[in-house]
Amino acid sequence: MVDNAEINIPVADPDDPYAVPAAMPSSADTSPRSFDVADFATPTRRQDDWRFTPVDRIPEFFEPFEPSGATRISVGYIDGSPIDGDDVDVREVAIGEAPCGTVGKPSDRAAAVEWNSAKGAWVVELKREPARPVLVRVHGAGLDPDALHLVIVARDQVHGDVVVEHDGDARLAEGVEIVTGRDAHIGTTFIQEWGADSKHVANHRIHLGAESSLRHSVVTLGGAFVRIRMDQDFGGEHGDLNMLGIYFADPGEHIEHRTMVVHNHPECRSRVVYKGALSGEGAHSTWVGNALIEPTAPGTDSYELNRNLVLTPGAVADSEPNLEIENGNIIGAGHASSVGRFDDEELFYLRSRGIPERQARKLVVRGFFGELVEEIGIDELASHLMDAIDRRLARGEDEDTQHALEEK
Amino acid sequence: MSTLEIKDLYASVETKEGRKQILRGVNLTVNSGETHAIMGPNGSGKSTLAYTLAGHPKYEVDSGQVLLDGEDILTMTPDERAKAGLFLAMQYPVEVPGVSMTNFLRTAKTEIDGRAPAIRTWTKELTEAMKRLKMDPKFATRSVNEGFSGGEKKRAEVLQLELLKPKFAILDETDSGLDVDALRIVSEGVNRAKEADDFGILMVTHYTRILKYIKPDIVHVFADGHFVKTGGPELADELEERGYDEYLPEGSDSESALA
Repeated sequence: MVDNAEINIPVADPDDPYAVPAAMPSSADTSPRSFDVADFATPTRRQDDWRFTPVDRIPEFFEPFEPSGATRISVGYIDGSPIDGDDVDVREVAIGEAPCGTVGKPSDRAAAVEWNSAKGAWVVELKREPARPVLVRVHGAGLDPDALHLVIVARDQVHGDVVVEHDGDARLAEGVEIVTGRDAHIGTTFIQEWGADSKHVANHRIHLGAESSLRHSVVTLGGAFVRIRMDQDFGGEHGDLNMLGIYFADPGEHIEHRTMVVHNHPECRSRVVYKGALSGEGAHSTWVGNALIEPTAPGTDSYELNRNLVLTPGAVADSEPNLEIENGNIIGAGHASSVGRFDDEELFYLRSRGIPERQARKLVVRGFFGELVEEIGIDELASHLMDAIDRRLARGEDEDTQHALEEK
Repeated sequence: MSTLEIKDLYASVETKEGRKQILRGVNLTVNSGETHAIMGPNGSGKSTLAYTLAGHPKYEVDSGQVLLDGEDILTMTPDERAKAGLFLAMQYPVEVPGVSMTNFLRTAKTEIDGRAPAIRTWTKELTEAMKRLKMDPKFATRSVNEGFSGGEKKRAEVLQLELLKPKFAILDETDSGLDVDALRIVSEGVNRAKEADDFGILMVTHYTRILKYIKPDIVHVFADGHFVKTGGPELADELEERGYDEYLPEGSDSESALA
């Protein structure tokens, strides 16, 4: 996008530093984007993008590898019925064959490794509105490293939903490209319910057409190590991006989401809301939300929020919103971030009405996530997700009880 | 007929300056159908008494007993106390985001009664109770106390009182922050609930104005962590006249601005 454009940064006169805005380099100019692994140094925690990531746990994602091919992909409608080819085109293409490779470029070494390791790409193209949500099932069948590339395309004016469900055991490098035409209105939901030893490093590259809207949801409920980085930009005016995230980190797990929103066209709107719960020793979550508002994006309306609920001691939640605003003529660029424990007063209030502690906690956690689950907006998923959250909560509590018993 | 007996209760709270004993030898017996007004200057420990009875974790009981029909509730968790028949209407009801009033009320009712209420009669009961308290029906779908005004929160407390039907209700400064109309509506709600269920009331208040609407049988003055005087309704009039000055520790500032 800015590859060959000449960049003119006003340079402050040292004798009169307030005459022009200080010369601050934009991250848009400094962040490398490349399909070539060699363009990225091997990640260390000294690099800003990897500061919160225990990189020593994922060396296999930093060098190109021969994928196991063990991951099983199937595409159908969410009710199990087969895809109608008139509505949705599902095909495999070579890596680099359009539309694969058309949505930006990898933004870090892991993403470049995925690109250079994957043997082909799956394309799910919404040609016209499907009768019900499309379900892409990604089932991991072993812990040998595998690579998967998925491209989701929505043509002009198409409405529809795609759900990508990950389960099983895997060590998966994943690249996802999402691109919409004009005036398309789609939802993409990515669910991670991996087995306990699984690792999953993903890069989503998203390009939202003019007048289009995307509801992009991420639900990460399981996996030893999950890191999903999302890079997005707009293709024209009046784009509307709604990014929602729910995560649950258990003992020893690292769950990381990085939402990188770029406002590069006028009058686009973005909302990022990520909420997570953590329980147990060594549970670690990271949310980094970047919002970059470029000089070309007057009338931008952006907001990002991250809330973390620490259920038991010993968990660590990193939460970092970053705003980079290069245009003063905007509607808003807000952010909020919090990490907190169960509110004792809330629990006491519920208990003083006869509700036992365990159930009170359940109500509070369901309340914490409930609104988001509703907003994801896929009825077929709502009760499944709430049940999954209940199960996670119950599991954490059983461990607490166990722990308490052991201490006695 | 139930009895709530508070026997020689001492309780403390952890503060920045260390542990501080607030309740110092509280003795009181309340029977079903009786309304006790507990009045006293600010900082005398009235609210501490209310929260200690309900089992708030912040307050630690040092000694004493609280018997509800002979059973010591101090060994019970807050939810067990509620099931035993205790209800605390809070001065500052807590907001619980994401939990709808309907879900909350049904869950509480199910726990208190030990079984789920029949759907049809429950919905009717809830709707009618809300109507009597002049609550907007949309409150039912909103999160517990979230975004409610002060008056709306107090109505929601009285709504719970009507629906949960306790044996003893502690009203902690239920009159605070209410305008005249809201005070009347809330008081009528309390009176209606008492009429129906004949529970005992411990009404904690700084001001006498609520006593015009909820008539006390017995009025107590609470100062320095225990009851210092007990009388009939006429004691409230006396307080109205003379304030709390005589009950304040020597040398403290007068705070007897009775409304």
